[in-house]
Amino acid sequence: MPAPALEIVDLQKRYPNGVEALRGVSIGIQPGDFFGLLGPNGAGKSTLIHCTTGLAQPTGGEIRVFGHDAISDYGEARAAVGLAPQEVNLDQFLTCEETLEFHGGYFGMRKRDRKERAAELLETFSLTAKARERTRALSGGMKRRLILARALMHRPRLLILDEPTAGVDIELRLELWHYVQKINAEGVTILLTTHYLEEADQLCGRIAFIADGQIAAQGTSEDLAARYDVVNLEDAYLALVGRRELSRSHVDGGVTA
Amino acid sequence: MSTWQIRFLSLWRREISRFMKIKKQTLGGPLLETFLYISVFGAALGSRIKELHGIEYIVFVIPGLIMMAFATNAFSNNSSSILQQKFLGAIHDQLSSPASPRELLLAFSLGGFVRGLIVATLTFIVAIVLTNLTVDHVLVLLPSIFLVGFFFANLGVLIGVRAEQFDDVAFAQTFILQPLIFLGGVFYSAALLPEPFETLTKFNPVYYMISLVRYGFVGFTEVNIPLALAALTAATAALFLLNLRLFQRGYKLRS
Repeated sequence: MPAPALEIVDLQKRYPNGVEALRGVSIGIQPGDFFGLLGPNGAGKSTLIHCTTGLAQPTGGEIRVFGHDAISDYGEARAAVGLAPQEVNLDQFLTCEETLEFHGGYFGMRKRDRKERAAELLETFSLTAKARERTRALSGGMKRRLILARALMHRPRLLILDEPTAGVDIELRLELWHYVQKINAEGVTILLTTHYLEEADQLCGRIAFIADGQIAAQGTSEDLAARYDVVNLEDAYLALVGRRELSRSHVDGGVTA
Repeated sequence: MSTWQIRFLSLWRREISRFMKIKKQTLGGPLLETFLYISVFGAALGSRIKELHGIEYIVFVIPGLIMMAFATNAFSNNSSSILQQKFLGAIHDQLSSPASPRELLLAFSLGGFVRGLIVATLTFIVAIVLTNLTVDHVLVLLPSIFLVGFFFANLGVLIGVRAEQFDDVAFAQTFILQPLIFLGGVFYSAALLPEPFETLTKFNPVYYMISLVRYGFVGFTEVNIPLALAALTAATAALFLLNLRLFQRGYKLRS
């Protein structure tokens, strides 16, 4: 049986200021899964991602990426992960092409492979015409595309998308959906965090709710709806955050009654 | 080429590419500054102070200027580059890669080192053309100047990692680094100072660095050369190891 793409066991993270961002989180994502992680702001989603990618240091628990310990065997673990972070963190001194090529280099890709892969991704994300332009000259949507291209540059087996469609227009959002569905079908495992519940509902096979640094529930959308005794994922989420009164079916019912 | 070599060279090339893209600021500015020092101290002061310890004044000053150019550029490059990348979050791209703390530290250190080396080399070439500068002890000069460059490159890394705002970097450069360099004997000989300043100068570590470089160029020294070289080697190694420890712990780099 292959190792899970991501196996997190009893993960804990306490920041030096005493804030407990993660309090014993455990999740398992199988190779090929499209897994959603949903929760309100400050629930611990980004901290979990940062711990997985080496940007934060866990204070307890274990993280394994395709069987490689994210701390003791970080080289292998990180090589398998591509991260598209929530914030636009492009290096403003670099061109689009350099952004991808340097990233490939950080992951040990050889020069010819870097050139070919960068050209392929720039084409895929409609950035070829901007290849030699510095990243600061790009529009917001183009920056988002470049961030996704960068995450894919080294051909990761696990792609982590931290709110990739926050603030992007409908066209780009649909474009990104199509692309990530395509690469998921090709075998790339995906971990997605998002605030758009319809996005999670349509894309993710399995979803976990995280709140206050703990996994509150996980399963398919239907499992989660059943778990909270509601009709859909959105209502399950509202139940999680204690705002059932905002349910659209509830509001509609109230208006028509 | 092995995977770690590709990683390290990519990280290093990125650091060099950063300062090469803003050459006017990172290379042109420091060169002009050094040229102005040579003009002022050579033409203006040099016409009145003919010699120090039997050495033409401008020739006495230039080794210190070369060392100062190397040190300040290596320092400011690394402190600014790291802080800027932390500020923009761009450093996450390197930190989430498989690169080891040692590869990251060496790449950051050597980025500033190369910038300092370029400015120092160009200053040396100008000095050779315009003055009677010679190289008397190349076997002391080369290790001394490289150690000085690597020391300040690592000091820049340390300040960049610790800094939380640009003010922190500016403070270190303006209120610590520049006074130490200016009061370390770039423009004068400590032996000519009245007490207690002569003794105080000997507590300044930069004084020994300038003395080593000056000895390499013009053969004049007021310090014990083997001892100063050993101390500089030890201090550089200690600073590198301190930085390595900080990178391994992820101090102010990983949350």
